[in-house]
Amino acid sequence: MITLRRSLLVVVGMLVTGVTVAYAQVPDAPPAEIPYLGNRTGVWIVAQLHILFAAFILGAPIFAVVSEWLGYKNQDPRYDRLAKEITQITVILYSMTALTGGLFIFVLLATYPDFTTWFIRHFFLIFAVIYPLLFIAETIILYTYFYTWDVLKGEKKGRHIALGVLLNIVGTTTLFVIDGPTSFMNSPAKAAEMPLIEYIQTAGLWDKVANYSWMPMNLHRLVGNVTFGGFIAGLIAAYMYMGSKSDEERAYYDWMGFVGNLIGVGALLLLPFMGYLFAYELCDYDASICPYMMADQLSMFFEMQGAMVGLIFLGSNYYIWLSMKRIQGVEQVRISGLVMLTVILMPAVMGFAWWRFPVPDPISLIFLGLLIVLPPLLSKLPGLRFTVSSFTMIKVGFLMIVVADAIWLTPHAFIATGAMEGEELPSWASELALMPAKNAAAFTLVYLTIVNYILYNRAIKRGTIIWGKIDFASQFVLIFLAFSVIWTMGLMGAVRSLTRKYFHVYNLVYDFTPESFTPTLRESGVWITVITLIFYAVVSFAIIVTLRAGDSKEPVAEASPVPAGAK
Amino acid sequence: MLKSIVKKGMIGVLVGIILVIVARLTHFPPMFQAMFFIYAILGAVVFILLDAPSMNRIEGGKAVVALVLFYVVLSGVYIAGASLWPQYDPEVEKGKIKKILKAKRAKTNLGKQEELIARAKALAERAKSITKQLNALGAGAQVASQGASEVAFTMGAASGDLVALGKEQWDLQECYNCHKLFGIGGKKRGPKLDNIGNLMTPEQLYEKILYPKRWMTEGFEKQYKKGKMPDKYRDLMEDSEVQALVAFLSTLRDTSVTTPKPIKMKLK
Repeated sequence: MITLRRSLLVVVGMLVTGVTVAYAQVPDAPPAEIPYLGNRTGVWIVAQLHILFAAFILGAPIFAVVSEWLGYKNQDPRYDRLAKEITQITVILYSMTALTGGLFIFVLLATYPDFTTWFIRHFFLIFAVIYPLLFIAETIILYTYFYTWDVLKGEKKGRHIALGVLLNIVGTTTLFVIDGPTSFMNSPAKAAEMPLIEYIQTAGLWDKVANYSWMPMNLHRLVGNVTFGGFIAGLIAAYMYMGSKSDEERAYYDWMGFVGNLIGVGALLLLPFMGYLFAYELCDYDASICPYMMADQLSMFFEMQGAMVGLIFLGSNYYIWLSMKRIQGVEQVRISGLVMLTVILMPAVMGFAWWRFPVPDPISLIFLGLLIVLPPLLSKLPGLRFTVSSFTMIKVGFLMIVVADAIWLTPHAFIATGAMEGEELPSWASELALMPAKNAAAFTLVYLTIVNYILYNRAIKRGTIIWGKIDFASQFVLIFLAFSVIWTMGLMGAVRSLTRKYFHVYNLVYDFTPESFTPTLRESGVWITVITLIFYAVVSFAIIVTLRAGDSKEPVAEASPVPAGAK
Repeated sequence: MLKSIVKKGMIGVLVGIILVIVARLTHFPPMFQAMFFIYAILGAVVFILLDAPSMNRIEGGKAVVALVLFYVVLSGVYIAGASLWPQYDPEVEKGKIKKILKAKRAKTNLGKQEELIARAKALAERAKSITKQLNALGAGAQVASQGASEVAFTMGAASGDLVALGKEQWDLQECYNCHKLFGIGGKKRGPKLDNIGNLMTPEQLYEKILYPKRWMTEGFEKQYKKGKMPDKYRDLMEDSEVQALVAFLSTLRDTSVTTPKPIKMKLK
């Protein structure tokens, strides 16, 4: 019955798409007008919601299959249960992805009929054949993966994991395929000394798909989806932990929250570099995009992004801190004082290295390598064997998160556009606003987070971890992290879309509507919050319906409960 | 607990004040000084949280209320955060976009229809006005002379304003983002152009704008190699707009400013 309902939702999504495509065929159909919100905001909300659901259904299976494999390899049933619960929620949210996807096309066709029809015609093979086929294949594999969980077990578990891998291959292919038209809107393929419009008329589908920002967008979204999946797993764990009635359940969901955060943070460490690569390619495509993003209309959006990144790093490291506080014997864990010195010196040393030997000069990477490798090696020498406690190291790490984020946030001027004399950084400190300083700040955040996880690993090896006894505040930290990551995704999604300026397709198709200007950060902040709250409400509902409702029927966990004290 | 909060809070404020004083002495603008103070307070909040006692478990309805409140606070903080940064005024951009899109829109079917309607309306208004004047004065000659002076004025404005139109294109295409002119704009991405009129002919300027790879500037080899000058203007600008921009650039002949020499490149 449930399967039937879910399948019906998917079919409804496809029907909506079909009807709207038919609507688009009516010649000269006037654009619809969305009352109160306006067309752009309406499309913005629906598109961003669709992207959030899609990010989850693409990121969560990666998370699930890795977890299932870990459970199989280590014979730890917790991982298997985690993977199954995540997949269960993915199945529900899959229907929402289809529904919002259909709604997205419907709204797009109704509000921007001319452009949407033009766009579909240019990518007809993708929209009419490749994407639907992949979507159908993914639907079949996802449902098979979920409903064969209890059938393909024991010796057949390998086959089930293979099915999960296949699901991810199809899912990632779907992502890469749909990124083609999306990235085309930002950086349409061009040829030297040939008018863009003429080239696009003659270019093949592959030329249009494999544009400048396609691969950076693929990588950015892929890593972003894993991050997203990890933090949403943390959110699920937090909800379930808060509602748990037994110590066993609390122990399990405490552990699940830790794993979700670990995966989320692990992928998050790569995200700034993926984002940098994406922005780099956009600027390489058209250098005028760069000032628009970094120095002009969108400059304060990047200030907000810097603040969000800082908060996310503070939150994820605070969660490690709370996790460590409940480990018995953590006081004995120590680390070389040279590592602490490295964390303190990294922004200055790497800032200098990248200023003197800018990217892609490999000498700066030699600096980085030495800075990371030398402290553990030198700490073995007599006279350099001084150590600090894990808590001291983490506290210094928190101080450096604030310092690194302050560097990340330092602009040329705190002005949305056109800084005047007297508002700019003093000339002696102008390097703080440039990329070498930003790179150094990003590496410091990443490095100290890794050091904190190394400390955590040492603590659980030497001490005893008591799952289920974590500070209750940690659950709010997990919820905070998921909320902040979704909000940041919304912010950066808006930035990517706004870099097209007053074009539907950059430099190619003009947006003549009165809404083709850059909205203020304030207005964007309101809509991003609204989108985040809607997404949160749906995901919360899905978690409650799927897992909490299931609790009353199955009070005993399918997998073995985790004994308190297990590592 | 309270003692710890007060102690750490006071340290945060103290560090913040020291940072503000140092920032002021080293010529950081006020907004930067305020940010340094905020970082110090943030650091204090972090250290208060690190040493905070464990939170008690919340269950049932209380947990739901706590969650809803938490979301309300988070939403409020993020909206306030986004609102507190300096805001760009969209009205500035709207004016620019309107000017840029006017010519493009006129080329579309919708634009042509709108133009025809606008012309018809203007003609109707004019006819109404002439009829009104004829009826009131009964002097056709007076109306004719008024029309002639209008034509002369328009022609004068058209020829005399070419440079002004070019200056407008300079602003609309945001050339100032890369090129410094009259001491304003530019961030090392492109050369100063105050003396470009003495270094390039109008034809060469025209070629450089539309086909940037055909000309390189001394000292900007790296930027040339990376293709920093966008090659989009032949797609985006009307010929008349390029002509106007060239006319404006040709007037830039300030020899007191060093404009590096452009070099003609041979393309494969």
